[in-house]
Amino acid sequence: MAKNSSARPLMSRIKDNLPIVVISIFSLILFVAIYIEGGNAQIFNTIITGGMWALLAVGLALVFGVMNIPHFAHGESFMIGAYVAYFTFTPMQEYLYTNPNKFLSAIAPLGAILTAGVAGAILGIIIEQLIFAPLRRRTKKDWIMNAFLLTVGISFVLSNGANLVLGPNFRGISRYWDVKAVEIGGAYMSVDRLIAFAISMVTIGALWFFLRRTRVGRAIRAVSQDETGAQLVGINLNFIQTLTFSLATAMASISGASLLFLFQAYPTVGGTPLYYAWYVVMMAGLGNVVGAIIGGFIVALLQTATQLFVAVSWTTVLPTVVMILVLLIAPSGIFGSEVKGVQEQ
Amino acid sequence: MLELKNINAGYDFLQVLWDVSFRVDEGELVALIGPNGAGKSTTLRTIAGLIKLKSGEILFNEKVINDKPTHLISQMGISYVSEKLNLFTGMSVRENLILGAYAIRDKEVQLETLAYIFELFPRLEERKDQLAGTMSGGERKMLAIARGMMSKPQLMLVDEPSLGLQPNLTQDVFSALIQLRERGVTVLLVEQNVNATLSFSDRAYVLEQGKIVMEGPSKEIKANKHVRNAYLGI
Repeated sequence: MAKNSSARPLMSRIKDNLPIVVISIFSLILFVAIYIEGGNAQIFNTIITGGMWALLAVGLALVFGVMNIPHFAHGESFMIGAYVAYFTFTPMQEYLYTNPNKFLSAIAPLGAILTAGVAGAILGIIIEQLIFAPLRRRTKKDWIMNAFLLTVGISFVLSNGANLVLGPNFRGISRYWDVKAVEIGGAYMSVDRLIAFAISMVTIGALWFFLRRTRVGRAIRAVSQDETGAQLVGINLNFIQTLTFSLATAMASISGASLLFLFQAYPTVGGTPLYYAWYVVMMAGLGNVVGAIIGGFIVALLQTATQLFVAVSWTTVLPTVVMILVLLIAPSGIFGSEVKGVQEQ
Repeated sequence: MLELKNINAGYDFLQVLWDVSFRVDEGELVALIGPNGAGKSTTLRTIAGLIKLKSGEILFNEKVINDKPTHLISQMGISYVSEKLNLFTGMSVRENLILGAYAIRDKEVQLETLAYIFELFPRLEERKDQLAGTMSGGERKMLAIARGMMSKPQLMLVDEPSLGLQPNLTQDVFSALIQLRERGVTVLLVEQNVNATLSFSDRAYVLEQGKIVMEGPSKEIKANKHVRNAYLGI
């Protein structure tokens, strides 16, 4: 009898969270398989890729959760970040070539990435004030559809604008830090990758702290849960929405900048990161920030597993298939979504 | 303190309020009563800035407020406890209350008010870490009123606090409102429970089909023949 009563809550708890349980077991199996087949190197590779997708997806989740905008110009923020980092880093690199200085060489890449972040934040403010704020004042009707079409338009304008001004050439760097790869557990990891991972984790951590512990961060969460309630306690909706959009754009720019050595900078570089970020948020649950972080790692796991066990050319196919399967079973994603706008509209 | 002058307002093409004028003086507890669909909630939403006026003027402490956005009206000292409550359901009781004091930047004042609120509603202190969305209807209503008080408002607009509550909880909510008045907070109350409301409010306005049809001290309104027939069923 006692055994029965303790077993029942566990079973019902598993039943309630079936998608999470299934995907955790599935991920664990993939993780072990990757470790057996590829060793530490592939595991690190997965974790580092996961960090990138998480950083991008968090921005998408935030924008969707707070503003109900399905953001399809997120990849262009990534592109702008890559360009800004390229154009600030290469002059510094040339200068350092003629005037070697160890301290400055260590700091210069961080400066370039930070500049990209600031540029992204400013771009976010401009786009929000110029496009979404006027739309919001005019009508809230069919908001999600209108906002979606606008972001697609912004994406076209920005990537073709970059093509017009800078041309279709690839601009890139081979590495940020000119030092030897580091050995961790028998696997060699380039310093650039490790630092890119560290940056994504620090940025996500900072965002987390901001949302949980600060006054304005709490206001952002309040707006995502109840817009009217937020206004009634004295929160300026317009300010919070501009800030949120700016934060998301800055995060995408930072990831574009810190991955410059991997992706290079060219007008359509944002496509791949955008699609992966969307796989993540659709699979995890639209607007769910925590889900986006975990989802980033799940997608990375799927990617590495596909590369190891199927073929590199299938890398985008299998994550998509898994995403479709997840949505068939759990339409609001693995971790669900509590976005107010979707149900209301 | 609050004065409405010839308000015409509504939703899109549907006009709800027709030439509504009334005033609430400092320290009063004024009731706005009337049948369903008369425009009582619309009146409060209009004062809070959630609905734009077609014509008319709303004055708060002699200043025009009807051209201001909702968050500024709230920061000026008007707290609106809506019928839907508009709580942050995914946050704890404590976080909801802290957000109620969003406009107060001084941490110490915030915590003082929080302590006072917990004294007034011990139930909320017991549940301070519970998510607002998982609480019962009565507790939610209390939380909404408490959150509205956190900004130390001069005027509170309270919309149907007794709706859907069992009688003893209704009594709790009403005594909270009476305590508010004793603390010097002015209250404009919209209520369905006409009998109880008229027994503890100072003055009352009767709103029917978007127009003010009667006004006066609550005792007189309660004794009025039309009100007794239509609302009290006596």
